[in-house]
Amino acid sequence: MFRKVLIANRGEIALRINRACHELGVATVAIFSEADRGSLHVRHADEAFCVGAGPVASSYLNIANIISTGLICGADAIHPGYGFLAENARFAEIARDHGLTFIGPEPGVIAAMGDKATARRIMDESGVPITPGSGILTSAEAAAAFAAEIGYPVLLKATAGGGGKGMRAVESPAEMASAFATASAEAEASFKDGRMYVEKLIRSPRHIEVQVLGDQYGDVVHLGERDCSVQKPSHQKLIEEAPAAALDPAVRDRLHDIAVTAARAVKYTNAGTLEFLVDGPNVYFMEMNTRIQVEHPVTEMVYGVDLVKEQIRIASGERLGFTQADLQPLGCAIEVRVNAEDPENNFAPAAGTLGRVEFPGGPGVRVDTHVYSGSVVPPFYDSMLAKIIVTGRTRESAILRMERALSETRIEGVKTTVEFCREIMRDEEFQHAGLGVDWLPRYLAHRVPATV
Amino acid sequence: MFEDTIAERVRPLARAFSDGGLTRLRVREGEFEVEFRRARPALGGSAAAAASPAKEPAAARSVEAILADVVGIVRYLRPAVSEGMTLEGDRELAYVETLGIRNPVRSRGPGRVAMIYVTDGQPVEYGQPLFAIER
Repeated sequence: MFRKVLIANRGEIALRINRACHELGVATVAIFSEADRGSLHVRHADEAFCVGAGPVASSYLNIANIISTGLICGADAIHPGYGFLAENARFAEIARDHGLTFIGPEPGVIAAMGDKATARRIMDESGVPITPGSGILTSAEAAAAFAAEIGYPVLLKATAGGGGKGMRAVESPAEMASAFATASAEAEASFKDGRMYVEKLIRSPRHIEVQVLGDQYGDVVHLGERDCSVQKPSHQKLIEEAPAAALDPAVRDRLHDIAVTAARAVKYTNAGTLEFLVDGPNVYFMEMNTRIQVEHPVTEMVYGVDLVKEQIRIASGERLGFTQADLQPLGCAIEVRVNAEDPENNFAPAAGTLGRVEFPGGPGVRVDTHVYSGSVVPPFYDSMLAKIIVTGRTRESAILRMERALSETRIEGVKTTVEFCREIMRDEEFQHAGLGVDWLPRYLAHRVPATV
Repeated sequence: MFEDTIAERVRPLARAFSDGGLTRLRVREGEFEVEFRRARPALGGSAAAAASPAKEPAAARSVEAILADVVGIVRYLRPAVSEGMTLEGDRELAYVETLGIRNPVRSRGPGRVAMIYVTDGQPVEYGQPLFAIER
């Protein structure tokens, strides 16, 4: 086991990693930006180093200062958390070159899964179903020909794309020429790469992802699935749950099998997540995230496994402490992301100083957060303030418990998603389960005129 | 955190302020800002004023803290800079070693070394005061 781990992150996940380390008897080093001097993750670590000014390029993405901190403190490993440098293969490589173990998969695997086209190709070759799609297409005519073959509607996507840029839904052949021109131009402007490909558009899929863990000796297990279909119009997840409710058991088993097969195929080590689009009986691989995810606690709650501790154990060379048969889920867990955002104004993020902060407690409630009464929410970072996770023997009881937990939550000083998520808990369609990713945007579209 | 700020940043500056016989010292660095002012002219100043009463009082001296802009290990130069040393121009005072790279720490102009906060070989974080230069 490691003696000292450098936590290359901030906020709740830095605190989460700190807790896992301390429970394992491992000392911790926090890094922070000048804007985060008063953050809880700094206070709880055994040592803390300022690595730069507030903006992320100067601090949380400052590879030289972060690695240097690790060397100065005598750390033997780095946990990258999620976001920032978590899926930066070069960072993982530099860490390794300086004698610091990167708590995550091999840099080559990070790089391969980080490139959409490569990841799709590898998964396709491993027998993982992917959305029917073309290779690079150089003209609108070629795109139209391919679309005719797989059938409309299709999605035009930029190979370098991300965040919805360079992406267009095309409903009919008549729209193809102009859609291709604008999407390609947008991709060229955003990514300096206007290359496009075409994918089958799945209208109302569910976003279901499977958690896997692999050790350095080739053993891979899955820890079931999470349903993350409740997404904001920006495609950011808002509410996640485990297991996925109202899912055909055959589809569930298939997802689990595919995930383990895929992880084995890329010789995956550490914690990872395979994201799928699920459309009735059809499942399509979307991407693989080579890190711990924001919503990992819902899996932890139903499986009774501390995923972050497992990450650290695996990276230190230990074998998985359980087999697939040992892993049995119990009940249901739901997570709500408490963001400093205004749901009444397109989830516009907010920053500032918080007033009174009160989090819920009681049976079956877990709160992962780095904020407290009077703490500062700097403008430079993600707007997530906390994750509230509840468990219940059934989904119904978990929803009632979440409603109760959110009713106990008070965050003054900024607008948050608390009340909005409480409203969702009371919504009949949400309670009915099995919603697609288009549900929340439609819900919002119908809701806004009603409240104005 | 407030106590830490006092211990790490304000106390050393207060010492530099009082040891340097200054009348005013203002340091601003990101969200951190502190200013010291002397109610009466510094002892040295009043002695000088007594010696030549006709002369205008000397302009208030200011002290600039030179902060680390990288995380690394401080390395003194040979010969090392010492407190009280007068700097003729922009001089390299030390360097901070980060992943084998030497990041020079410069005085950013002439002045007098009022304070050295770090020892040779000491690890420093971003924004940590290294030297105080009196202008």
